[in-house]
Amino acid sequence: MDTKKWQSIGTVLGETNIDHFFFSLKNYKAKKGDIITTESKIPSSEGNIIPVTVWGKISSIESSNAFFPTEAAQELTNENIDIRDTILPMTRDELICKVIILGYTFKNNLKLLPLNYPVRPAATVSYPSSEDVEALLISDLGSKHPLFIGSLLARDAVKIRIDADNLVSRHVSIFGMSGSGKTVMVRRIMDELLKKQYPMIVLDIHGDYLGFIQKQKKLYPNNEVKLFYPNLSVSSEDKEIIYTLIEKLGNSLTDPQKDFLSSLLEKVKYEGGSLLKYIEILAFKARGFASESSTAFKNIRPASMYVAARSLGQVAKKLKNMEQTNFRHRQKMANLKFEELPDPATEPEKIIAKGQLSILYLKGYENLPASAIVSILLENLFKHRQEVEEEIPPFLTIIEEAHNFIPSRSENKDNIPSVETIRKVITEGRKFGTGVMIVSQRPSRLDETIASQCNSQIIFRMVNQKDQRATTRDSETLSVDDSKQLPNLANGQGIISGQVVNFSLPVQIKFDEELINDDIGNENFITAVENWDEKDSVKQRKKFAKDFSNISSIDKRKAN
Amino acid sequence: MSDEVNIKNKIKANSSLFINFVKNAITASPTVQNNFLDVTAQVALTIQKIIDDANLIVNLDYKGNDFWLKNRCKTSCFIDGGVDRTSIISSAPLSIRTGSYIVKPDAEDKNREFFEESMVFLGDLYDPKNELYDLSDDDFDEDQMLNKKKDGARIIFEAVTIVKHILLNRKFDYCFLHGPIEATVMPFTVMGFPTFTKFAVENMLPFYTKNKLNAEARHFINVYLEALKYIKQSKFPVYGIVETSNSAPYIKNLLYTYKSKGIISDKDFKNTLSTIKKYKITDSHLLEIILKNGQALKPLEVKKQIKGFSVTSGSAWEDKMESFPSVYIGYIKTNDHSSPIRIESLTSPVNFKKDFEYILATARLLPNYGFPVGLNIVDKFAKIPNWMSKASRRYYATHLLKQAIKSKDQNTISLAVKILSRKVRSWRNRPLGGMAR
Repeated sequence: MDTKKWQSIGTVLGETNIDHFFFSLKNYKAKKGDIITTESKIPSSEGNIIPVTVWGKISSIESSNAFFPTEAAQELTNENIDIRDTILPMTRDELICKVIILGYTFKNNLKLLPLNYPVRPAATVSYPSSEDVEALLISDLGSKHPLFIGSLLARDAVKIRIDADNLVSRHVSIFGMSGSGKTVMVRRIMDELLKKQYPMIVLDIHGDYLGFIQKQKKLYPNNEVKLFYPNLSVSSEDKEIIYTLIEKLGNSLTDPQKDFLSSLLEKVKYEGGSLLKYIEILAFKARGFASESSTAFKNIRPASMYVAARSLGQVAKKLKNMEQTNFRHRQKMANLKFEELPDPATEPEKIIAKGQLSILYLKGYENLPASAIVSILLENLFKHRQEVEEEIPPFLTIIEEAHNFIPSRSENKDNIPSVETIRKVITEGRKFGTGVMIVSQRPSRLDETIASQCNSQIIFRMVNQKDQRATTRDSETLSVDDSKQLPNLANGQGIISGQVVNFSLPVQIKFDEELINDDIGNENFITAVENWDEKDSVKQRKKFAKDFSNISSIDKRKAN
Repeated sequence: MSDEVNIKNKIKANSSLFINFVKNAITASPTVQNNFLDVTAQVALTIQKIIDDANLIVNLDYKGNDFWLKNRCKTSCFIDGGVDRTSIISSAPLSIRTGSYIVKPDAEDKNREFFEESMVFLGDLYDPKNELYDLSDDDFDEDQMLNKKKDGARIIFEAVTIVKHILLNRKFDYCFLHGPIEATVMPFTVMGFPTFTKFAVENMLPFYTKNKLNAEARHFINVYLEALKYIKQSKFPVYGIVETSNSAPYIKNLLYTYKSKGIISDKDFKNTLSTIKKYKITDSHLLEIILKNGQALKPLEVKKQIKGFSVTSGSAWEDKMESFPSVYIGYIKTNDHSSPIRIESLTSPVNFKKDFEYILATARLLPNYGFPVGLNIVDKFAKIPNWMSKASRRYYATHLLKQAIKSKDQNTISLAVKILSRKVRSWRNRPLGGMAR
């Protein structure tokens, strides 16, 4: 690393400390987020004074022109004067940058060490070459398995890599507003992990990841990409989940009705299989007990049994609807091969295998059933990782729209089944190789325990202050200056912090255009309406509607 | 409404005059308090009549957008000086510089504007090796003289900066100095005021070789006079612009002209001058009432250095006063609420209206302050910033104390601490070493 070749871009200002310093920047020589250096001297542990290179990141830049009086602006505006025509100065902008110190390097050892002595005021600030910045970042990261994700926001030439080992074991959260680049980021990571044959399962609510199926042959010939639709299969051990589902999806029940339901679940044995089928059996049995005025249930009157039976019927109907909705969505993508989700208890290897990406397509399912599906799935997969035999390899679970599965306590939804399961998986994931990636646009609505377990964060544009607060609360490495930057990030620009990098970095994520799902449009509704052609059924209905309307208008008789 | 009532209302409505009026009311005797307003109003009324009679008021044109489009090709230079007023007992550090802001709006970016540190001096007035004043001639080294020497240096530096631009054959359309184009030299005529060193004079005015630069030739009066004569020859117009006038040269001169013509009697002239003096009425006070926004007063020739003043009287320099060039003084009222600014030049302005319109336009860019923005800019540039003065004070203090401690002499150390203690109280309450008794 030839520091003499680095361009001088400014001078360190007066007061410095070991965390940050300010410097005066030459016009247009650096940007916010740039990595810069300054030469300094520090006392070594042996008591010598050693010259070191201090590295820092520009966290903010302020510009002022002390020679341009505010009231001059008033006159320029009022009189519609172009400043270039006047004698007012235009070249005396003073740029002051705040630099967050990342650490120092000694000689050619590119490992960043924490600075414990302030940088020298009045020292020259340099702009290191892109190669040297990249070399520092790679060397400092010291990763066995780096994943390429994009480039440094301020310098396109500096490629940024993150550490795969920490990513898959220490959990990561990806937050940002809708359209800010979360999915682009997830796809980028998935692409890299697929190349490393790392197994993944994605809970895909919108079909954002179906591009992987479409491009599998071309882009991932050595990988298996499977697309599953949910199969609500339960075993006798899942009684708690079944009870919660019925309670939440059905009509609200009184205490005796709940007692009946509980006893019914005990009485009606089930070998395991389709949840819908089981609920239909329960409804049938409940009606049977009610019509017989069964005395098998102490103190419960037949009327209560009928109510519970009706509620079970309601649940069955809702589940059927959701299945059908999901089915209709799948039908729209006839070219994709959907498979029923194998039983995670008995056939986990069909879901998690080396080099395989499994996508669970949840579109059409309401939060609660989706939560139940995810809970049962993850619970079983986790169990297999816990077992001594380890039937499946370590894997990464990607939870899209995570606020649906791990809502915060304040949302009053914390008793949905997936919260407890994911909490367990994420807490013990490091031991068993069950890493979790949480993706959400509303971090403030997430379960705090789970969010705080994520040791790395990738944050995209975020305007909502509640969400910004939640993000900084859950992150140990995201600075206040970083969080101030969040509302101003453009699409695909994010700040990466935590254990996947050694210090927070503003990054432009590489956009993998080929991974977009071709079957999902770009929310171009205006064009859709412009090209709208009514379905035949609608045309037919319209054809007769007028006639039927005439009949009703002349019918004067009262109804019986 | 009568003229008198109208003027009184103007006085009341006018903020800066009203403040002065209140100040006067607080400090002056009850009688003066009662008639201050009447007297000021009467003087203003009389002066206004004379000004109208002499047809001195000119309405200046200013249409922001239009004006700057037409004048964007003009090159202007704005000059100001800055002095560091740091002083501690043991030394007299002098940091002085003049800055020039040169701007040509229609030039391409890199040639559009220049901030130039035109003259710089850093040194200590007590240092025998200093290169500005000749200490062998210096009888006056008391504190009060230090400020006078600093002022003298600043005035010379500002004038010499203009000289430098002329010498370099700079192609300016206008050159403006922040302050009077010709300062009153009377304070520097006192006996024993030190001369500049030969080195300094040679560097400041390379063309000046009078009497082989003997002590007399190097005196402030001669050096300044030489600089002014050179400025007077300038091919581009040079104006000194003063924010507020603390004296009444324009009014007095106007009255004198009318007296000379026989329109005012000697008695009335003398009495009016006496009233102006007693009531501390200045050009600013009166013209603020008389002039309207955007109006100017045509320049009048005024003698600034007057022979026969008590200070110069009998001094070796008394006769020299006559040699100083006359100054042409005019005024511009740049906005509704500020005092008119004074415009001075060493020659009678050839294009007075055009030049004054340019000055008005530069002042309009500071609509509240009402002072040419170019001078405001160069003022900020040339000013010795507080942090620099502070740092230099700290440096001198540390140095002094280090030297004292090095001497290991308790009395010297005590003296150093005493010098550095700003107040006697801090000296008395200084921490004492050793055991408490």
